[in-house]
Amino acid sequence: MVKLTIDGKEVKVPAGTTILAAAKSAGISIPTLCFHGRLDPIGSCRMCVVEIEGCAHPMAACTTPVVEGISVTTNSERLQRIRKDSLKLILVNHPLDCPICDKGGECLLQDLVYEFGIDRVEYQTPKPERSSQYATPLIRYWPDRCIMCLRCVTACREIKGIGAIDIKGAGYGSQVVVIDEDKCQSCGECLQVCPTGALTENLSRYKGRPWLVKRVPTTCTYCGCGCQLELNVEQNRVMAVTTKEGKGVNRGSLCVKGRFGYEFINSEERLTKPLIKKDGEFREASWDDALSLVAEKFKSIKEESGPDAIAGLSSARCTNEENYLFQKFMRAVIGTNNVDHCARL
Amino acid sequence: MAEILFSSWGGEVVDNRGKEPQDFETVGKVSLPEYFQQDEEIKALIGWYGIVLRSAEVNVVDLCRTYMEEVQQQSCGKCFLCRIGTRVIADTLGRLCRGQGRPADLELIAGLAESISESSKCNIGQSGPLPLLHALEHFADDFAAAAGGAAVPAGKYRSRLTAPCMDACPIHLDIPTYVECIKEGKFQESLEVIRERLPLPGVVGRVCVRPCEEHCRRANLDEAISIKFLKRFVADYELDHGREPEYQVVPSAKTGKVAIVGAGPAGVTCAYHLARKGHQVTIYERLGEPGGMSAVGIPDYRLPRQILRHEVEMIQKLGVTIHYNTEVGKDVKLSQLEADFDAVFVAIGAHLSSSMRVEGEDAGYQGFIPGVKYLLDINSGIDPYPEGKKVVVVGGGNVAIDCVRCSFRIGKEDVNLVYRRTEKEMPADDVEIHDAKEEKVNFHFLTQPIKVLAENGKVVGLECIKMQLGEPDESGRRRPEPVEGSEFVIDCDIVVPAIGQTIDLSLLEGVDNVKTTRWHTIVVNEDTKQTENPKIFSAGDCETGPGALITACAGGRKAAFNIDKFINDEPLVATENDYFDKFFSQVKVYDPQEEIGFIGGRPRYQLKMLPPDTRKYTFDEVEQGFSPQEAMAEADRCLRCYRVATIAVG
Repeated sequence: MVKLTIDGKEVKVPAGTTILAAAKSAGISIPTLCFHGRLDPIGSCRMCVVEIEGCAHPMAACTTPVVEGISVTTNSERLQRIRKDSLKLILVNHPLDCPICDKGGECLLQDLVYEFGIDRVEYQTPKPERSSQYATPLIRYWPDRCIMCLRCVTACREIKGIGAIDIKGAGYGSQVVVIDEDKCQSCGECLQVCPTGALTENLSRYKGRPWLVKRVPTTCTYCGCGCQLELNVEQNRVMAVTTKEGKGVNRGSLCVKGRFGYEFINSEERLTKPLIKKDGEFREASWDDALSLVAEKFKSIKEESGPDAIAGLSSARCTNEENYLFQKFMRAVIGTNNVDHCARL
Repeated sequence: MAEILFSSWGGEVVDNRGKEPQDFETVGKVSLPEYFQQDEEIKALIGWYGIVLRSAEVNVVDLCRTYMEEVQQQSCGKCFLCRIGTRVIADTLGRLCRGQGRPADLELIAGLAESISESSKCNIGQSGPLPLLHALEHFADDFAAAAGGAAVPAGKYRSRLTAPCMDACPIHLDIPTYVECIKEGKFQESLEVIRERLPLPGVVGRVCVRPCEEHCRRANLDEAISIKFLKRFVADYELDHGREPEYQVVPSAKTGKVAIVGAGPAGVTCAYHLARKGHQVTIYERLGEPGGMSAVGIPDYRLPRQILRHEVEMIQKLGVTIHYNTEVGKDVKLSQLEADFDAVFVAIGAHLSSSMRVEGEDAGYQGFIPGVKYLLDINSGIDPYPEGKKVVVVGGGNVAIDCVRCSFRIGKEDVNLVYRRTEKEMPADDVEIHDAKEEKVNFHFLTQPIKVLAENGKVVGLECIKMQLGEPDESGRRRPEPVEGSEFVIDCDIVVPAIGQTIDLSLLEGVDNVKTTRWHTIVVNEDTKQTENPKIFSAGDCETGPGALITACAGGRKAAFNIDKFINDEPLVATENDYFDKFFSQVKVYDPQEEIGFIGGRPRYQLKMLPPDTRKYTFDEVEQGFSPQEAMAEADRCLRCYRVATIAVG
């Protein structure tokens, strides 16, 4: 264990802990912007700079491991100046289109600007030219809103191990670009970690404000992994799928289907009532009628041709319990071992 | 030398403005060259460590503008303050220079410069705005005048990016970038950065003398980055994953036929760069395999032969032809090559062992084996003298250490090393000395051989005398002097002199205008590697004398660029890069005394090694290499010490 002092408070943490984590363990909050719990510290925003006694330079708390006996200050006039300068420089050309930004209301930059009370920016320089067209049919990139915190680049590389996007160019003209279009799977990991509205999903644009939606925790039904997600529901319609950092087996990650394949829920073409074909036409029926008809037909087939004339095909999108019941039904009620499901196809 | 008017370099402020020349204080922290190139005076320097002004003609506001523009161009864009802040500063300075500034701008850029330099992620941002702060403090009048609308005359400037490690590396590898690629898990990109200059990452990543690590700023905090092993890691990673390098060939306007004598590091590097420019390259190699001195002189436990062979094979894929077992001078004449090819590059290395000048060394005793021959035999799988069991190696360099460590590996029982100075003065790599000690070599320091003893034509011992250190000689090392009457004999049956190598220049017979020095090295123009015979170029040990592998590679690269120019009828002159290299070597990019102002406490990752008792009897590679996780964690220690220098010239 390493002993150090943070804001006069003695803290003991295992060797290798960062100053940021050590402060958190002691209940001391240091502002961060690019830091994300699932990523290796990036260190691009410099919001978490702290002063260490005996060191001329402030150091980023997120990337600096603790050293025995150091004394850390997390707030001072100098640190406030640096943090404010960092935010002001972002605001030099960050569009103030918060009213129509999908991230408005849950934007980390917005929160920090508010917290630091930045009401004017004295710096100016022309907008950088960003030609980058990083986009997929499902993900939209807003180059002007991008603060280049590199969370997206890091998440794509570290969490997904894909590395489809990277930063290219130098200085002010550097930008986030797709380095390999074929690699991108539109999984949306990038937009999940984006702290601003620079990456938004194309499906849910302008459909609802984040503070108006109800977030319903549920399990993804696409495969057997059991990823945890939240359906963002407004007026009984699913507007988006989000996840909570670190939650469930997926720890906040989703695949392209889990994140974007939700439109069927509210699709007008979706069947909500059973249909029975009569005189060559499908007509709506009650569940009782439909189930009775099915039972009748099964019975007659079984009597005429034996139970093995019937086979059951289940779905990988059902739960284990449902699949268990299904095979039980086929074996015990129908009397056949002809059971399979789509994951084997 | 013209006097310095002002300097804030390295925290030492010397202000001679307004003083009479006889009252001028001298500047101790920096030595600013007077000329950048012939007829081009250096009037001022602005860079990572401050401002040095020699001429009052230089407008400091314009100097700062040019410099900050360059800093912005070199900013990597990976942290907010540097990426946007340096743009804001450069723009503001631009407005000041165009007469569109306001007095409030000065305070604004000062505040911003402070924030950027205090909190940026890497040294571009940390050191970039520092001299601007010096300028705003010490040249406040000039800035106030500019802000008031006074005209700012534009000067002539040259700027360059450097880093302590990059500057120290003879071939100037872009170390911070390839280390950063490793940190981000981009191993292939890292290799591409290395191969831009060096085709032998696996070899150099094992045996480099790593001047870069001696100039690593991280050492000022805790320990230098393990640059050499990171390079080895990416090379091994590619090999382990069955990938092959993809070389880009961009043919020059005119391509030609080039003969290269020697497939050592210089020859191979030269061939690589020429082939990438579309030239037809043929290498003539005396031995049966590639690598020259690195193949025959470096044992397998340090540099497994297949690594070397593989990297050379990859270069052959570029269309380079190698004729092995073909000695130029005997099997084919150099004059013939001169006639048949558009240019010839001579890189024959230094393969003759120097004489010890002691009695008995020329008597042809059995058991007296020169170091290079000893290693060559062992590396060819032969025990040079199976009868002998007790070995004395004479010398303090890497070849001497290789000889002693190899001796155990071919079953010699008693292995001694005799060196006339102390361990501290040994030129061999400290790590090598340490490993040899672990393997239980008997070191005899302050000992000089005086006579090889023999019976019936076979070595039976080496008579030595004890030495003591006297006054420093021209190399700065204290000169050893014999202690009267301290003669003693080390019983042995093998004596291996390894006190240095010389060059066999016999191949030059029949070729005109290739001059040599009295140390038997070939004379070339240092900027172009061309001999006085315009068709013949030379680099490597045969030009510099026995030296580092990476220096030979650097020489080969430089020669390739100039051979390309020669074939294309372009003038062979030093480039701006060459002048900047010289400039930086005088100004010094690395300051071992610099206080970094951070906390350290993250020592370097150590490689796993075979234990001494196992390794000393086998030629298996001793050092085991990093895992990807270790490599990425080690690369994360890099401080990315890029820095920019701008000079005002005229």
